[in-house]
Amino acid sequence: MLTDITLGQYYPGSSVIHGLDPRAKILATLLFIAAIFFAESMLSYGVLALFVAAVILLSRLPVLMVLRSVKPLWIIILLTLFIHAFTGEGSNVLYQYGFFRLTEEGLIMGIKMSLRLVFLLLISSILTFTTSPIVLTDGIESLLRPFKCIGVPAHELAMMMTIALRFIPTLIEETDRIIKAQTARGADFDSGSLLQRAKNMLPILIPLFISAFRRADELAIAMEARCYRGGEGRTRMHELVYKTGDFIALAIIVLLIAVLAVMRWGLGL
Amino acid sequence: MQSLIEIKNLKHSYIDTDGNEIHALNGVSLDIYKGEFIAVIGANGSGKSTLARHLNALLLPTEGKCVVAGMDTADDKNLWNIRQHVGMVFQNPDNQIVAAIVEEDVAFGPENIGVPPAEIRTRVDNALAAVGMTEYAKHAPHLLSGGQKQRVAIAGVLALEPDCIVLDEPTAMLDPRGRIEIVNTVKKLNREKNITVVYITHYMEEAMQADRIIAMEHGVIKMHGRPEEIFTKVKELHALGLETPLAAQAAFDLRQKGIKLADGIISNEELTEELCR
Repeated sequence: MLTDITLGQYYPGSSVIHGLDPRAKILATLLFIAAIFFAESMLSYGVLALFVAAVILLSRLPVLMVLRSVKPLWIIILLTLFIHAFTGEGSNVLYQYGFFRLTEEGLIMGIKMSLRLVFLLLISSILTFTTSPIVLTDGIESLLRPFKCIGVPAHELAMMMTIALRFIPTLIEETDRIIKAQTARGADFDSGSLLQRAKNMLPILIPLFISAFRRADELAIAMEARCYRGGEGRTRMHELVYKTGDFIALAIIVLLIAVLAVMRWGLGL
Repeated sequence: MQSLIEIKNLKHSYIDTDGNEIHALNGVSLDIYKGEFIAVIGANGSGKSTLARHLNALLLPTEGKCVVAGMDTADDKNLWNIRQHVGMVFQNPDNQIVAAIVEEDVAFGPENIGVPPAEIRTRVDNALAAVGMTEYAKHAPHLLSGGQKQRVAIAGVLALEPDCIVLDEPTAMLDPRGRIEIVNTVKKLNREKNITVVYITHYMEEAMQADRIIAMEHGVIKMHGRPEEIFTKVKELHALGLETPLAAQAAFDLRQKGIKLADGIISNEELTEELCR
């Protein structure tokens, strides 16, 4: 029952976007998030929308699947829209009902804010759709490495993520087994009040934690036996190499920021 | 033959959680030669795992000495060199696989010792081929069977190009098919790549494959010899809380009933041949 979940949301493929270096993709995503805040006029939002649409098409992911990534946050997006629409300052009143006053300026502001959220969600899910968690970890490690001198434990963080990715399925299997074992002993997980049900989870959590600690202990010994001694002097089988495509992708994003900046401050659009 | 590991009067004791001093090893002396296949048997708590963990300096002697390829395990600066010479495979296949992709896991060892990327690639390919897991290189470990996972673990050790592999009950958590996979893989590595094997097991059928068997009890070596020497001493084995292989037991029982059989029968084939003669 628990075993059929997929890890992350990686959607294997061979598109241009899939083939980009993970570091380039992470940087591009961060730059795009910055670009969102450069957009001011409706026209510049149109440019952003075109850009997002182009990326989705280039990634050759099922469009519906990408759009669905907005779903988990739809309440927040709607809330943003309504709060801005009904609280925005403006003279152009479209609708009034007692205390509530819908203004045109507020509505436009609300639409812009919700669009920002939607773009942000779409682009960051394209990152996780097109990059496997393992490659993503390599990318994060490589990007954080320069910050090691100020105390960012880049290698350790990446190793933690790798081990977490490796053990999540194993621990899920184990949870499944414990639930079955406790059910066989007469445990009841499906009835009673919310508090009661939370309490009933204890017989699952305690064995799970004990087993996780035991596994951690054994894994540590096994890693030591295979000469693991931290990130110092370590090499990698797959080394990340920037290719021309990665520079082009980053250049396009920088260009996007430039266009938006010129539209906002240069042309006043 | 040249000895790869020399163990001299090895003692190991530790304090358990209740504050009692436990003597896990009480003076073990043993030479392990290059290229041999040696099996260690013994009941639970006989000290066989403790002995195994001294072979690559996961544990250090309280008294006595353990010397691997001329390097004393007690000397700190030999530590990583020793662990490259002696690899170790553990009981639970799940708890020794580090990465979420098979080939990444096999690469873990060579990455740790700073092997250049191109050479890691060839080492990983060779190691996976040696255990017959090449086609699973890109798979996720949790989707493999127990025997396959354990073969990946062996490949992970092989990628460090060790002289000796110590396997600590590698088949204890596997089904019969997985057990056969592992024993055959280990035998092949021993014969074809001349890798020294120290194989700790509860299964006498597996121990029978070895060149030499060590039987332990209470932290000392009680019996030591070739499989046909060990498994024909049925009473001594039982006294150590160990079983005998089925054929050896049957031959022993038949002799007790007064049926004359040749000496040194331990395998099913030998027994069948003797009975049909």
